[in-house]
Amino acid sequence: MTNHYIDIKNADVVFIMGSNAAEHHPISFKWAMRAKEERNATIVHVDPKFSRTSARSDLHVPLRSGTDIAFLGGMIKYILENELYFKEYVTEYTNASFIVNEKFSFNDGVFSGLDAVNRKYDRSTWTMETDESGIPKKDKTFAHERCVLNMLKKHYSRYTLDVVSDITGVSKENLVKVYDTMGATGKPNKAGTMLYALGWTQHTVGVQNIRACAMIQLLLGNIGIAGGGVNALRGEPNVQGSTDHALLYHIIPGYLAVPNTNWLTLEDYLKANTPVSKDPMSANWWSNTPKYMVSLLKSWYGSAATKENDFGYKWIPKNDAGADYSFMYLYDKMLKGQVKGGFVWATNPAQSLPNTNKIRKAMSNLDWLCVAETNHTESSDFWRGPGMDPKKIKTEVFLLASAHRLEKDGSISNSGRWLLWHNQAVPPQGDSRAMGDSIVGIINSVRALYKKDGGVCPEPLLNLDWPEKYDPDAMARNINGYFLEDVTIDGKQYKKGSLVPSFAMLQADGTTSCRVWVYAGSYTDADGNKAKKRDATQTPMQKKIGLFPNWSWCWPVNRRIIYNRASVDLNGKPWDPERAVIEWDGEKWIGDVPDGAWPPMATGKGKYPFIMQKEGHGQLFGPGRVDGPFPEHYEPVETPIKKHSLSSQLSNPCAKILSSDMDPLAAPGDERFPIVLTTYNMTEHWCGGGETRNTPALLEAEPQLYVEMSPQLAQEKGIKNGDPVVVTSARGRVEAIAMVTVRITPFKVMGKTVHLIGMPFAFGWTTPGCGDSTNRLTVSAGDPNTTIPEYKACCVNIEKATKVTELSI
Amino acid sequence: MDLTRRDFLMLCGIGFAGIALAPIGYAKELITDHADGLKISGAKEVITVCPFCSVSCHIIAHVKDGKIVSTEGDPDYPINEGALCAKGAAMLNMVNCDHRVYKPMYRAPYSDKWEEKSWDWMFGRLAEVIKETRDATFKIKNDAGIEVNRTESIFWQGSSQMDNEECALVHQGLRGMGVVYVDHQARI
Amino acid sequence: MAKSFFIDTTKCTACRGCQVACKDWKGLPATPTKQRGSHQNPEDLNAKTLKLVRFADHTIDGKVVWNFFSDQCRHCIEPPCKIIADDLAPGSVIKDEKTGAIIYTKETKKISADGFEEMRSICPYNIPRRNEETGLIVKCDMCIDRVSNGLIPMCAKSCPTGAILFGERDDMLALSEKRLAEIKKKSPSARLLSKDDTNAIYLVAHEPKFYHEYACGIVNGKRFA
Repeated sequence: MTNHYIDIKNADVVFIMGSNAAEHHPISFKWAMRAKEERNATIVHVDPKFSRTSARSDLHVPLRSGTDIAFLGGMIKYILENELYFKEYVTEYTNASFIVNEKFSFNDGVFSGLDAVNRKYDRSTWTMETDESGIPKKDKTFAHERCVLNMLKKHYSRYTLDVVSDITGVSKENLVKVYDTMGATGKPNKAGTMLYALGWTQHTVGVQNIRACAMIQLLLGNIGIAGGGVNALRGEPNVQGSTDHALLYHIIPGYLAVPNTNWLTLEDYLKANTPVSKDPMSANWWSNTPKYMVSLLKSWYGSAATKENDFGYKWIPKNDAGADYSFMYLYDKMLKGQVKGGFVWATNPAQSLPNTNKIRKAMSNLDWLCVAETNHTESSDFWRGPGMDPKKIKTEVFLLASAHRLEKDGSISNSGRWLLWHNQAVPPQGDSRAMGDSIVGIINSVRALYKKDGGVCPEPLLNLDWPEKYDPDAMARNINGYFLEDVTIDGKQYKKGSLVPSFAMLQADGTTSCRVWVYAGSYTDADGNKAKKRDATQTPMQKKIGLFPNWSWCWPVNRRIIYNRASVDLNGKPWDPERAVIEWDGEKWIGDVPDGAWPPMATGKGKYPFIMQKEGHGQLFGPGRVDGPFPEHYEPVETPIKKHSLSSQLSNPCAKILSSDMDPLAAPGDERFPIVLTTYNMTEHWCGGGETRNTPALLEAEPQLYVEMSPQLAQEKGIKNGDPVVVTSARGRVEAIAMVTVRITPFKVMGKTVHLIGMPFAFGWTTPGCGDSTNRLTVSAGDPNTTIPEYKACCVNIEKATKVTELSI
Repeated sequence: MDLTRRDFLMLCGIGFAGIALAPIGYAKELITDHADGLKISGAKEVITVCPFCSVSCHIIAHVKDGKIVSTEGDPDYPINEGALCAKGAAMLNMVNCDHRVYKPMYRAPYSDKWEEKSWDWMFGRLAEVIKETRDATFKIKNDAGIEVNRTESIFWQGSSQMDNEECALVHQGLRGMGVVYVDHQARI
Repeated sequence: MAKSFFIDTTKCTACRGCQVACKDWKGLPATPTKQRGSHQNPEDLNAKTLKLVRFADHTIDGKVVWNFFSDQCRHCIEPPCKIIADDLAPGSVIKDEKTGAIIYTKETKKISADGFEEMRSICPYNIPRRNEETGLIVKCDMCIDRVSNGLIPMCAKSCPTGAILFGERDDMLALSEKRLAEIKKKSPSARLLSKDDTNAIYLVAHEPKFYHEYACGIVNGKRFA
């Protein structure tokens, strides 16, 4: 989230798309309701089905799953055409005035540089014209035909109401209603927030869905302000923190790129990852990369990391540059028997990954599997699952009985980036242990073996600065980082062994350590562990917008609303004084912690507000994504239609699609699978359901797998409410109970009726009779930027079941 | 036809004088029976965080004699202000459920059952299989002859359920082992 | 001064925090349930479910609506069940003068199954349930243990959106009237249910039949105003 949960109450329009906030983040909705009560805000929900969120929204607009960009592209066109955008904001703070490279082009759904065979773009034309210092040329009059604003107008000129309505299945009347409502927040004294979740990310155009959202928010001047923002309601309990700590193949802690074969030395790495800008107005924050990287290496390898050995850089495993090590590719390789063993900790791939028939089969090829869980799951027990013969499965399985959160101390980070400490209520029950204890124990055991027996390349393991015992408090300090020598910065001396007070003090010479630079300042000698702070004091200015700067701490540097210097004009005055986030009082900023303490831009000594971009501007033209600088509508990989009216490029030309024997796809418009399936969950169950199905009061409330469908489809298929049914896709079949409801409506798409059904994925065979993984139906196809799978749209058929084996009825 | 309250009482055969209360003493005793013995009185309050969605509602666990006897929302936390959804409200039910895995368990190759093992045994055996796999599959150089120091045969998956302190160690440990197939729920 | 619930269904998101919090606080076990083509589970109140969120979807005037109704004992000011119970087993149903809570005591064990049926059928809201194992007749007790100790009932405590409020009756009455006036602007059919006669006031945006059969109380097959 650029903003935070309480801030939702500051919005005039709460626009929810790709999220079912009331069901999946119920307390976030408290703040949406607060906006409605206190400022008569309008809540708009755009979503394929009418959910508990829709029930409390002022307007629910059903949309065919997988057509969000068509919908949002139409909104961009509407905003531009009707001049609803915030001109001063767009002119000063976005790259609208930049001149695009004349070689850049877009033709019939494809941008310049496509290598269709390898499904990759050569992005060298997706650039800006620059002056001799490399600074982008600008035309703030917007007369230049290739300035971003005009390119944007041109790109979305095709997204007319008729075309968008045809593709999305949304009536033109509803389109205009939503566009007008959201467009009205383009005024300085209006704020609109956009809340999204997996409904946007889980598509083969997932990243571009969010790009479109960010572009709209930039056009409307809604980023950096109270009640605005691009707000991902993140899923898992600590998915924010675990992402900051980079449990991902492509990054290392603090959003630094993972070392790869293009960067064999630290010097190569730093050169490639430290952007240079000659624009004195650009903060170009990533110019600090060397400080963050070296401090991380010192944190990992301690005294073994020296200047002479590149601070241990070579011990980090290198990815092959450009290779994808995400789980879809991992399981593909596992299916081929090329993976020997691994760790599955508090996640349930046999239940939650797409095409789970394939995942389950692949797991049986492992030699060993180490699962850490609070409950048995479909993954820990895969070897005794449906269709498995344990006598034929070689896998050694280790199930580490794990402590529940209430049984341990530690911190997590919520979606608003608040660092929150939880305290141990009781010791781990039975003989269970915190996962921290388990990882420390496992690595120590492996290190002991290498010390005793030697082995292949032991240095990366043995040079780790690794604890004997797991101590959450010590780790929290370690994450914050230390001065490793006496260091003098700006005349102030910091003693060796003291905690670094902020990332501003981190050094690139090995004299500081820090595990994740954005967390520097979370634990200081002066204030202790700030995740434990419970102080609700506020200034009147902060109180007005529900800012609690003394309650816990948030990254970065306790800034509660990021990019907040975009909430003020060039003189540092808030666009909306009633909802001021920060304000320049003539000498300093007051309110929230500003995105840099520089004075307002009008003084000539200021910096552009979007400090994480090399050019300092919000990117309406975004060359950083692999599949285009402007979001373009493409159909899901499995689609009920053979063509759409925006271009002849049916699906994303860069989508990642796996092609094992177990990954068949339905052809576009395949008559065998004419119905769109979208998947989701509900309040009462959590993801794969491993914990919540084992919580009696929750299983009681939602006991079995269901499929929500329209009365019209039910009638066509002869299905009655409560009937057991079978849903099939090209990959599998799943039994469920029909829930026939007016909350699902058929769509009129490209002249034909398209039905959509929806199913939760929380139910699995380890809970007898409740049903089994819905993901046996979904596709192994992913977004080209993230490889997040397209769970939200695939094609299926449905019929009344004559016999069921997965459900007790 | 809609009824009024007056009609209702008539239908029930009840006059308008109101309901005679049970003798005061009697009622009081029974009320006391119900009102006393608040299960959380005298309990220690421990602040914790709900382990589900990323709103991270705060929960007070009431602990008596080393056991959690009740859980409810923390009214002071400015985000949830004491409220909880069904999952958060089920915390007591969840922590104390019979279905938890309370002991380290091991499934031997080709076996059809779980066996209880000690932690020492688990770590010892895990260290063996990890080392064996790592030694057998470790690539100092890739096919192009570039130094990579990695194994592609061991993977990590999860865990956004862990604390930051645990995630930090897991990441460090994995890179130490040379694991590159690292992924978690952020990609789901 | 009596206490009252004000249950504003226009704010309810059916998160079921109330339903589950009630169970967790009272230590009530789950009952086996099946998916029947509805999110409402258990299907009805039962001896182990004293608070139930009811779900009802409709198309009203061409618009899809999904109504949620957090059902529970209304704590009648003059409870009919008590009239019956006083005859069958004195002291089995009592009213706490301080709060207005209607409480079923251990004495309800003395009431036969037939007697229970009589109690249930006279309840306009169809609330009382009998635990077949223990013979006790049960329902919401306003969390009298919490309220007597200065806390609010667990359902109200848990509610994220302020759909379940609890407080002094006068305050709840005033609040409900104020809220009704606001809601009426957009939903002319909005009304307050069980306001004058009970200590659980409900605000609904549509006709009560679109929520739950017993939303506004039924006696001898006729609905209350």
